[in-house]
Amino acid sequence: MLTRLRALAGFAAAAIAAFAAAAASADEITIGADLPLSGPNAQYGDTFSQGANLAIADVNAEHMLSKTLVMDYEDSQALPQPGVVAANKLVSVVRVPYMLSAFTSVSKAIAPVAERSKTVAVNGGGVGPDLAELGDYFWNVIPLANYEVRAMVPYLVNERKLKRFVLVYVDDPLGDAILKDLHTELPKVGGELVGELKIPRDAEQFAGIAARAREAKPEVIYIASFGAQQSQIIKQFRDNGVSQQIVSYSGFAIPAIDQEPEAKGALYTSQRMDWESNDPVTKHFVTEFKAKYGKAPNYYGANYYNAVMLFAILAQGLEKKGEAITGENLLKERKAVGTFNLVGGKMEFQANGSVIMPMQINEVDGKGGHIVK
Amino acid sequence: MLFLQLLVNGIQVGALYALTAVGFSLIFGSTRIFHVAHGATFTLAGYVFYELYSVAGAPWIAALAVATAGAGIFGVLVDRFVYAPIQRHEGSFFTVFVASFGITIVVQNLVGTAFGRGFVSISSPLSRSVELAPGLYAPPTAAISVLAAVVCFVGLHFFLTRTHIGMALRALSENPDLVRVFGLDPRRLSSYAFALGSLLVVPGALLTGATAGLSPALGNHVMLISLAATIVGGVGSLRGAACGGLLLGLAENLALWQLDPQWSEAVTFVVLFLFIVFRPAGFFGRVATQ
Repeated sequence: MLTRLRALAGFAAAAIAAFAAAAASADEITIGADLPLSGPNAQYGDTFSQGANLAIADVNAEHMLSKTLVMDYEDSQALPQPGVVAANKLVSVVRVPYMLSAFTSVSKAIAPVAERSKTVAVNGGGVGPDLAELGDYFWNVIPLANYEVRAMVPYLVNERKLKRFVLVYVDDPLGDAILKDLHTELPKVGGELVGELKIPRDAEQFAGIAARAREAKPEVIYIASFGAQQSQIIKQFRDNGVSQQIVSYSGFAIPAIDQEPEAKGALYTSQRMDWESNDPVTKHFVTEFKAKYGKAPNYYGANYYNAVMLFAILAQGLEKKGEAITGENLLKERKAVGTFNLVGGKMEFQANGSVIMPMQINEVDGKGGHIVK
Repeated sequence: MLFLQLLVNGIQVGALYALTAVGFSLIFGSTRIFHVAHGATFTLAGYVFYELYSVAGAPWIAALAVATAGAGIFGVLVDRFVYAPIQRHEGSFFTVFVASFGITIVVQNLVGTAFGRGFVSISSPLSRSVELAPGLYAPPTAAISVLAAVVCFVGLHFFLTRTHIGMALRALSENPDLVRVFGLDPRRLSSYAFALGSLLVVPGALLTGATAGLSPALGNHVMLISLAATIVGGVGSLRGAACGGLLLGLAENLALWQLDPQWSEAVTFVVLFLFIVFRPAGFFGRVATQ
C-alpha cells in the first residue's frame, strides 16, 4: 500500500513539474545559443553572451514581443562535436526556432542540423568564408575573413611597405581559409607569403615556431588562431626575438589581447563600427553596454546584440501578421524585409544570408584599441 | 643555427617536463595511485604565484613560498580526503583514477571562475630572450629551468637516499606490506609522497607561467607529458622519468627542424609508441617476470 502511495505521490510531483514547465514555457519564447562557455575559448562565450543578454533585456523591457524572450545557453566548447550535440538539444528538445552560433568549425558542423530542422542559425563570431555557403537557414551577421584579408593586405603592402608575410595558422577551417585568401591576395599587390606554419588547436609551446618564423625573415607575422592561443603566440614570439609587425583578423577583438602587453602595436581588421555614432540604435547599445558591464563594447558584443535584435524584429513582424514564429517563417520574413536598423547602421543581407560591411584596421593599444584606417 | 636554436628550446622545455614527470612518477611509484590531478596541482601553483606576484604585487619570494605551500597542501588534501576514503572502501585503481580525473575538471573550472578563463602570464624580464649569437636566442629562464631541474633532482636524490622518510618512501614503492612490518604507516608515507611530488611541479609551473603563460586547461597537457615521460623513462624510475621528460621536450622541439609545427606534438606520441613497442620497460624500468 505504502509503495503504491509513494508511486502515486511521485507521479503527482512529476505531473505538477511538467505542468509548471509547460505553464512557464507558454509565457515565453525561447531561442538558443550554441556558444563556447568552457574551455580555452570560453572568453569568447563571455563576450558573445554579454551582447546577447543585453538584447534580451532590451527586447523584454520594450515589450517587442507578446511573450517574454528567454535564451537557452548550451556549451559548444568551440568544438564541432559538442557543438552538434548542443545544437541537436536546442532543435529537438528545447525546439527553438532560432539559435546563435560561433566559430567556423562549430558553425559548419551545426549547419546541417539547422537546415534539416528548418531552424535558423545565426553566426556573429566565426569568419571562415565557407560560412557564406551553408544554406538558407544559416545566416552571418559578421563580415567574413575574405573581406578582412582583402582589407589588411593592401594596407600593409602599399602603405606600410611590408611585403614578406609569415602565416601562423591554426589547424581549423578558419586557418585554412585565411591561408587560401593570403595566397590569393598577396600576389595581387606584390606581397609574398614566405612561410606557412600550421599549428594544432591545443598547441601551447611556440618558442620553436618563433625560431622557424625568424628563419623566413618576414616583415609581417599574420596570426590566424583564436582564444588563449593567440595571446600565447604573441607573448612567446616577442620573448623569442620576433620583433616584426604582428597582424591578425577580428579574432584579436577580445579583452585578453588588449590587455596583453606584448600585443601592443599589433594590427587587426574588423567590421567598421563607429561607437560615437548618433544613430539611435548604436547610441543606445553603447550607453546600455557601458552601464551594464562597466566597459566599452566590442564588435562581438555588437554582433550578438544584433543577432538577438534581428530575431525580435522578425518575430515581431510575424506576430503582427498572426503567423507562427518558426524557422521557415523567420527566413521568409528576413527575405521580405531585407534591411534592418541595427547597431552600426543599416544591415543588409545578401542572397546567401551573409552581410557585407565596410572594414577597418585597428591597432592594439591596451585601451580598447584605436582605428588606424 | 635553427637546429641549435631548437636544441636550446628543447633543453629548456625538457627540463620543465622532467620536473613535472618526476613528481608524477614519485607519487605513482610510491603509492600506485594514478594521480591525474597532478596537472591540476601544476595549474594551481602557477595561478597562485601569478595572483600574488603579478596581480597583488607581493615579493616574488613570498609568492613562491605561498605557491609552494599551496601545491604541497593541495596534494596532501587530495590524498587524505579523496583517495584515502576511496581506498578504505576497497576502491579499485580505476575508481581512484576517475576521482582524480574529476578533481582535474573541478580545479580547471574553479581556476577559470576565480582567475578568468583567458590566458595570463607572469610578467618577468627573465623570459625575454637575448641574442647569444646571430640567430640564436635564449632567455634567462632557459638557464633557470635547467638549474632548477638540477637542484631539485640532486635534492630529491639526497632526500630519498639519505633520510629515513626518503628510504621509507622507496620501501613503500617496493613492498608496502613489509613497510607495515617495520612499524611504518603507509598512509602517512603516502602523504609525504604526495607532498613531495606536488612540490616538484612548482618550478615548472612558475617558469611555464613566465615563458608560455597560464590557462585553466594547462594541466591537461602537463599531465599528458608526465604520463608519457613516466612510460618512456620506465614506470617507477625517477631517473627514467627525468630522462623521459627531457627526451620528450627535445623531440617536440627538434621535430620542428624538419617537420611542420602541426606534427611536433605528434612526435611526442611517436616516441611513446616506439618505446611501448620496442622497449616497454622504458629507459630504466624493470622488466616484469612471471
